[in-house]
Amino acid sequence: MRTDPISTEPRALIVEDEALIAEELRERLSRLGITVIAAVSSGEEGVEIATRERPDLVLMDIRLSGAKDGVQAAKEIREQVDVPIVYLTAHSDRRTVERAHETEHDGFILKPFLKGELQSTIDVALRRYAIRVKEKSQ
Amino acid sequence: MSLLSARSDSFVPSRFLKNQFFAISMGAVFTAVILITWPKIGSWLLSANFLPHAYCYLKNPVLVWTHVIADSLIAISIFAISLTLGHLGYKGRRDIPFHWMFLAFGLFILGCGGTHLVEGITVWVPVYVLAAAVKLFTAAVSLTTAAVLPFTVPHVFELIQLARATEQETAELRASEERKDALLQEVHHRVKNNLAVICSLFYLESIHSRHEDTAETFRDMENRVHSMALVHESLYGAENLARIDFAEYARSLAEDILASHGSPSVPVRLKTELEPVTMGADLAIPCGLILNELVSNAFKHGFPEGTEGEIKLTLRSDTGGRYTLCVQDSGVGIPTGLDFKTNQSLGLKLVRLLTQQIRGSFELVRSDPGTVAHLHFEVNQNAY
Repeated sequence: MRTDPISTEPRALIVEDEALIAEELRERLSRLGITVIAAVSSGEEGVEIATRERPDLVLMDIRLSGAKDGVQAAKEIREQVDVPIVYLTAHSDRRTVERAHETEHDGFILKPFLKGELQSTIDVALRRYAIRVKEKSQ
Repeated sequence: MSLLSARSDSFVPSRFLKNQFFAISMGAVFTAVILITWPKIGSWLLSANFLPHAYCYLKNPVLVWTHVIADSLIAISIFAISLTLGHLGYKGRRDIPFHWMFLAFGLFILGCGGTHLVEGITVWVPVYVLAAAVKLFTAAVSLTTAAVLPFTVPHVFELIQLARATEQETAELRASEERKDALLQEVHHRVKNNLAVICSLFYLESIHSRHEDTAETFRDMENRVHSMALVHESLYGAENLARIDFAEYARSLAEDILASHGSPSVPVRLKTELEPVTMGADLAIPCGLILNELVSNAFKHGFPEGTEGEIKLTLRSDTGGRYTLCVQDSGVGIPTGLDFKTNQSLGLKLVRLLTQQIRGSFELVRSDPGTVAHLHFEVNQNAY
């Protein structure tokens, strides 16, 4: 079930294999008024929950411990659901960015997180998505 | 067996062959000198009691000039080639294997050039004895070269094998270097990821703390670890994985500190004037921690209750590889009577300890307006 990401409390899915980092994200997102519907650790689980629950936002770690990395999982999600995807990464070097550009995405958040950066990146991603939806409906 | 030892054992021909070649060559040169300098032999050599070659050509001008021009051109070309070979053999005597072979070929070609030169002369001047002497000299040198050349063939094949082995070893070394870089990059990634986990722990502790002071302490700790994580972020993206662009690092760190402390509504601007310099993690981490304290202090204590202002970050080079990092704020200034050398706050204590660690010096003074902190330190251009 989808909600309007801007006007109501958005629902987010976290795909992150470090439990403590995922928990920090959950806390930070709840302080931004975002409900975390699930925090999973593998790309496979991420694809399954994203397609079933259709969240308003997916925060996806690029390096995941399973067979499927974050970029592959994001690609599969985007094939089935139109949802803003924001990558989580420890690095913003050229190779990582190029790898992420293999899929359509709505931003990067560098780990460790910064309050201002997290908020602005998510805000931009949600607004871009809202504009996209509005353009499609016209 | 190392490549160098293989080269020294395999590519110098036997002393016997070298001695033989030089003995015959020197004999040929000695004979030529004697023949020219001894007057009777000289006059005999230059005796011209024969018919010149022009008669054989029936003095046909086309035939005569064709022979003369062709012989002259061959002689000039051959002298030029022998000079080049001689120069190459001499200059490369320490580096080129078989450099003496170049000298031998040079001498042999020189003899050939001499025979063509004399051929040109004998068209009009029948110095056939001189022509015979030059041919004899050429025969001696060419015979020596021809006799020695086969002995070098095995060494040439060894040289080719060595070149192939060297090429393979170079490729293996390059692959090993790439593996090492990938491993080092993975280490930086894991270190940064672990530091991110530590930041998460501090954050979680800070939000579960009941007292604001305790929460503030955990937030400070989170920022300190964040400044260390940023060094590994810079190292991960750095070309040599060992030294970071400190100017870029300092700018990112200062921006991050302002982003984490402030909110878009807090009007504190950041201004930077940073000279480029690279340094290893050993220096970058303590400098980053000091910078974290100075910028955090400027933000927290310089602008109470959200007052407007500016924090200026400057990095400039002094003499002798020394640099000065300045953090200047336009805030309310440090309290009168604050002595940073004895102050017991953890932030200033960290600054003192870390300044000592990098063998630097530190000053904190009131400016008009605000406060300015100077950190002086030396950057070793070779340290990692």
